[in-house]
Amino acid sequence: MEYIDLGHISLLIGFLLILVGFWGVLTQKNIIKIIVGFSILNTGINILIVSLGYVKGKTAPIIDNAVAQTGYHDVSASVVDPVPQALVLTAIVIGFGVTALMLAYAMKLYKAKKTLEINKFNDLKW
Amino acid sequence: MLRNILIALVILVMGYMFYNTYSNYETRTELAGISQHFAAQGAQEVGAANLVTAIVVTYRGFDTLGEVTILFLTASIIAFFLKLKDEDYDSSIDHRETSELLVTASQVLIPIIFLFGIYVFMNGHLTPGGGFQGGAIIATGVALMIMANPNVRLNYHVIHWVESVSGVSFVVIGILGMVLAGGFLDNKIFGQDGLGEFGTLFSAGAIPIIYSFVGLKVGAEISNILNKYQKSQKEA
Amino acid sequence: MVTPIFIVATALGAGFAIGVLNKFGKNFTGGLVLAAITFMTFISYQWFSAFQFGDQTPEYVYTAGFMPPLSINLLMGHYEAFVTLLINFAGLLGGIYMFNSLKNRGSNAQVVYLIMLMGLNVMVMTRDIFNLFVFMEVSSIAIAGLILLEKGTRSMGAGFKYILATSIISGFLLIGIIFAYYFTGTLNLDGMIDANLSGIKGGAVAVFMIMIAIILELKPFPANGWGLDLYEGSNAGFSAVVSAASATASFFVLSKVMDIAGPEWYYYISLIGAVTFVGSNLLGIKQENTRRMLGYSSIGQLGLLMLILGFRDILGDQTPYIVFGILISHYMAKAGLFWISGIVKSKGLKGWAVIRKKPFFLFLMGTFIFALIGFPPFPSFFAKWTLVMELVKTGNMAWVVAILFGSMMEAVYLFRWFGYAIKGENEHLEDFKIEIHKIVPVWMVAIGLYVMGYFTAQFTEVGAEINFIPLAFVGLLLALDFLPVFVKNTIAIAGMLAYSYFIYPDLEGDTLRLIFEGIFMLGGILALIAGYAYKGTRAGFYPVAILMYAGLTGIIEAKTTLEFFYGWELMTAGSYFLIIRGKRSMPHGLSYMLFSIGGAYALLAGLGIAHVGQDSFAMDIINNIQYIPYWAYGLLIAGFLTKTAAVGLHIWLPGAHGEAESDVSPMVSAILLKAGVFGVVLALIGMGAENNQYTELAYALGWLGAITAFVGNLMAIFQEDAKRLLAYSSIGQLGYIVFGLAMMTHLGWLAGFSYVINHFLYKAVLFLTIGAVVMRVGTHNMYEMGGLIKRMPLAFVAVMIGIIALSGVPPLSGFTGKWLFYNAVLEKGWYLQGALFSFSGILAFMYLWRLIHTVFLGQLKDNHRNVKEISIWFLIPIYTLIAGLMVYAAKPEWILQPLGNMIAQFFPDGQLIWDGGTAISKYGQWSGSLIGMTIGATFMTVLIWLMLSTRKAHKVKQFDITYSGERPERPETTHVAYNAFEGLYKAMWVATIPLVETFWDRVTNILHDTAGFTRRLYSGNGQAYMLHIVFFILITYLVIIGG
Repeated sequence: MEYIDLGHISLLIGFLLILVGFWGVLTQKNIIKIIVGFSILNTGINILIVSLGYVKGKTAPIIDNAVAQTGYHDVSASVVDPVPQALVLTAIVIGFGVTALMLAYAMKLYKAKKTLEINKFNDLKW
Repeated sequence: MLRNILIALVILVMGYMFYNTYSNYETRTELAGISQHFAAQGAQEVGAANLVTAIVVTYRGFDTLGEVTILFLTASIIAFFLKLKDEDYDSSIDHRETSELLVTASQVLIPIIFLFGIYVFMNGHLTPGGGFQGGAIIATGVALMIMANPNVRLNYHVIHWVESVSGVSFVVIGILGMVLAGGFLDNKIFGQDGLGEFGTLFSAGAIPIIYSFVGLKVGAEISNILNKYQKSQKEA
Repeated sequence: MVTPIFIVATALGAGFAIGVLNKFGKNFTGGLVLAAITFMTFISYQWFSAFQFGDQTPEYVYTAGFMPPLSINLLMGHYEAFVTLLINFAGLLGGIYMFNSLKNRGSNAQVVYLIMLMGLNVMVMTRDIFNLFVFMEVSSIAIAGLILLEKGTRSMGAGFKYILATSIISGFLLIGIIFAYYFTGTLNLDGMIDANLSGIKGGAVAVFMIMIAIILELKPFPANGWGLDLYEGSNAGFSAVVSAASATASFFVLSKVMDIAGPEWYYYISLIGAVTFVGSNLLGIKQENTRRMLGYSSIGQLGLLMLILGFRDILGDQTPYIVFGILISHYMAKAGLFWISGIVKSKGLKGWAVIRKKPFFLFLMGTFIFALIGFPPFPSFFAKWTLVMELVKTGNMAWVVAILFGSMMEAVYLFRWFGYAIKGENEHLEDFKIEIHKIVPVWMVAIGLYVMGYFTAQFTEVGAEINFIPLAFVGLLLALDFLPVFVKNTIAIAGMLAYSYFIYPDLEGDTLRLIFEGIFMLGGILALIAGYAYKGTRAGFYPVAILMYAGLTGIIEAKTTLEFFYGWELMTAGSYFLIIRGKRSMPHGLSYMLFSIGGAYALLAGLGIAHVGQDSFAMDIINNIQYIPYWAYGLLIAGFLTKTAAVGLHIWLPGAHGEAESDVSPMVSAILLKAGVFGVVLALIGMGAENNQYTELAYALGWLGAITAFVGNLMAIFQEDAKRLLAYSSIGQLGYIVFGLAMMTHLGWLAGFSYVINHFLYKAVLFLTIGAVVMRVGTHNMYEMGGLIKRMPLAFVAVMIGIIALSGVPPLSGFTGKWLFYNAVLEKGWYLQGALFSFSGILAFMYLWRLIHTVFLGQLKDNHRNVKEISIWFLIPIYTLIAGLMVYAAKPEWILQPLGNMIAQFFPDGQLIWDGGTAISKYGQWSGSLIGMTIGATFMTVLIWLMLSTRKAHKVKQFDITYSGERPERPETTHVAYNAFEGLYKAMWVATIPLVETFWDRVTNILHDTAGFTRRLYSGNGQAYMLHIVFFILITYLVIIGG
């Protein structure tokens, strides 16, 4: 079963989570649930990022004993791609920032109209 | 109902789009592109055992500056639009009493959490972890503190100072990189030889310093956000 | 040179430091923020000037001491320097404008503002795609926060929707980026371009996600509800910055990222741009909320820019110039309008009438609106010109149509708004306050637009030839607007005289142009003399009147098609302002403007086609059109006919001329309409004159002229309003002219030209006289006048002579024209049209009779018992013109012979033969002086006989009448002129059905209904907006990538 390896599995999970996130974002009326939807969506994307850095049978990109155990001379032959891992860190932090901002908005919105139904906030339209 | 069917259709088409992408994926067996260089030369060029840290803080340090900015922005925005006055920070509200278990555990755990956070960001260039992770850990300590005692008065002046000073220092170190080394945010501000002995705490040039500032800033920033959420509840 | 990294370091350093510096107070932190932005602006400016004026080469800035693709690099090139300069400058002005708003929200808000600008700068400069993502997030988070500068739930809702939308977009961007990395192994833009990502299997989808996300940042129609809410919901000062800085940055990002996507994407970018431009502007016409309307306009302009960007391979070297022109105009004008909207604080369009309380605001607003629509002398004019020329040249007519249609829609709502501001009711509106720090930025961008316009023109070879002196004179009059009428009138007349003197040598020998220049300049001076009758300052009159004359002389002097179009647009702008000055003129001003713009666009397209296959823009390219010439001449003539008010395009004229001020009516009727005639003449010469190969076109034009003559005269009969009567009569007379010219024979042209001169003379006389009478009696309605011969004998004589000339009764010049016409019709064999023309002549008698009978004869009205003779300042030009009519009548050969010689250049066959004062044609002969004498003798005989035979008649006193014991409820019904042609109306009503008005109403309604229906898409629900985005993505995916 060469098709079902770790890379494919995690990529699939990432895409599925993204779809689940989209479903939540597009169908839920409650603002908090929408924000949860976004969190799921972001998690999906983050998994996607990490899984694209996966290299079959390699270890974490930290030069310590684990690298030595892989038995290769060259570090580049024994670690997975470090770049997506660096990117995912940034993506997580950005996701955190956006979520925090959304939650603050949710607090403000709730305070203004005592409701969290998204379709109640349509003062501006057409 | 019709709407949900429509959305289901949308999700389906999106799934199809993703499937097209997925079907073009093949699991890598070796590194390609820039990552090859990072893996092969990173340790030597930057001096950090943790290659991810080398990329985050040095190679792509400019992104990290942006990241820190985003956290800073979020905290600032939340500050101005949850609009707290000085007295709000000192106000107290009646909360349901917190459980004995939480209060006692927090007293034991908070110092350890703080210590652990500091360890994580100071060793970011050696072990998994770094400024963001360390900062987040510190903030969990603050979260625990708030949960154990909802009326706790965090010294927000200190938080602001930490936030400001560590932020400015980050930029200053970046500029130093330009003056003393090859470019903005270059970690070799002590020279190529000043990278220190590989694998020790004092290695990788400016990385531990930058990461410490990032850790402090992130910790302060997130604590700040948590504090503001907590304190603005009164209005809600 | 300060390295651009300091843009980032300055912003972040200041931003981070403010956390501890805020104890010095908000004024200090605000000042610090402004200082930081000033420094950032300085850095960009320094680079920009090094590129623009020096020989700086693009410079990369490397970070981290490593070379890309390992590290992130920034590029500072010519465009980057320019765009960051735009961003920082907008940020600076916006920061000044919002100083207090930001201060009220505390130092945190000030910091967020600063960092937003920094984010935009990095977006422009970075060459790393992930870094681009990070800083796009920085600026969009900052924007989401700054929306809350405005208090209230509206802005909160807008902000939340904005975050939701941008989160979806950035999600797709991130997925695209990571796959792009996976396929290419690099994050560097240049690396990805080299790797040819779209060519890699699976790479196309990654490209798609990146591209679609960046396009979505530009708020394409219809997935842009969140963008509209942003413009409407946030602080006005901030909307300006979003529109100027953020949209500009996003646009630049698209321009650099599309290199990854490759040329196959260009078409789709253009398509999305076109849909956005047309869609947004269409929905804009339904808006009553100013801020939202401006939002639609901003989005539309970005669509236009996208369209241009997609054509960059085709436009080649011209692309930067075109983008610059459109971008800078939008940048400055839209920011200015948003800023004004924050000062005026009126949500609805109608409330804008309040800005008249501070008249200079009208100048500012007008500047911005004309710049957005693309009028000269603004950069967008030159850019649009070049764009259309290039697109037509490369055979992209459908795109030109989309651009012109979208621009037209934009003009509809912007000028409607402007109309409210100029003419709306404002007494009940509360005055507004101006803060100095808010008005300074507005003035800066307004002046900037003029400066930029001048430089944009100098940039091209053909634009540099434009003569800006008349426009400078307009500026001078604007600056002197505070002076009294007497002084300004003298300056204006002196200026026109001097200019005519200087321009004469250029035109000497070119009779055709001299005739029209004479009508425009000398006629203009005569009409201006009447201006001495006005008192006070007559604010705003002189700049706009001279603007019109500047345009008119520009048309005559034009050596290139660009100069011609430039003059045409100036003339349109000036006449619009003149017309809208009249009372109750708002709807007419708007329809005049819309028809004019429509006509100008037809003209633009026509001139574009004419340029195909030609190297130059010289005027004579229209004599030799190589590509689809039928279309070219058709479009040109259609454009010109909007100004001559041919039937179908005439509905603006009666109201516009009828409601205009007394001395403006002759300007816009006797003088302005001739600009359209001049255009038609040029087009017909272009069609080959005697060797015309486009006979169908000329034939259709002939019918159009004849029908116009008939309809104009018929409608004139049923008018109760004296000025409207004259206005309809003008439509009819212009119909004669077009008919004559369309015959394309020597005699036809001679007839047409004799009418050109005639109509100028007598219509000026009639409009000036009736206008002066109206000034005295205070009404336009003829049935409210009567017996004025006793009070104003000189006016009576003037009208008498005017209508004799007009009706074509010998001995005056009208007869000359008629005689020529009948000869021409017989020669050409257009009998049916000739019959219609002849019948129109009879109709003319029926209304002309009313003009003299109702107004001057009959009983004097009680309230007119003490009116005085019309003003001497009107009498001077009136009698000067009458002297001209008399000379024309007595010695027609003085005028007709040179005319004949001029026409013979184009139509050598079939000339009149002159025997002293007698003209001989195929069908007979005629001598002006002889006929004059015969008529004079006959008239004297009849007069003497009448005087002898009626010696015993006694005068009937005014009250020597009875109503048979009845007291009429509506006194006007007893007046002979009231509803005088009821009987005729019963017979002819079919012909007076306002088919044309109904047609244009229908068109308007369809547009409005479409807009009204479509805009319901924007339900205000943030979730629906997200769904729109997802839909947009998926549909584009299916179209571009396919199944």
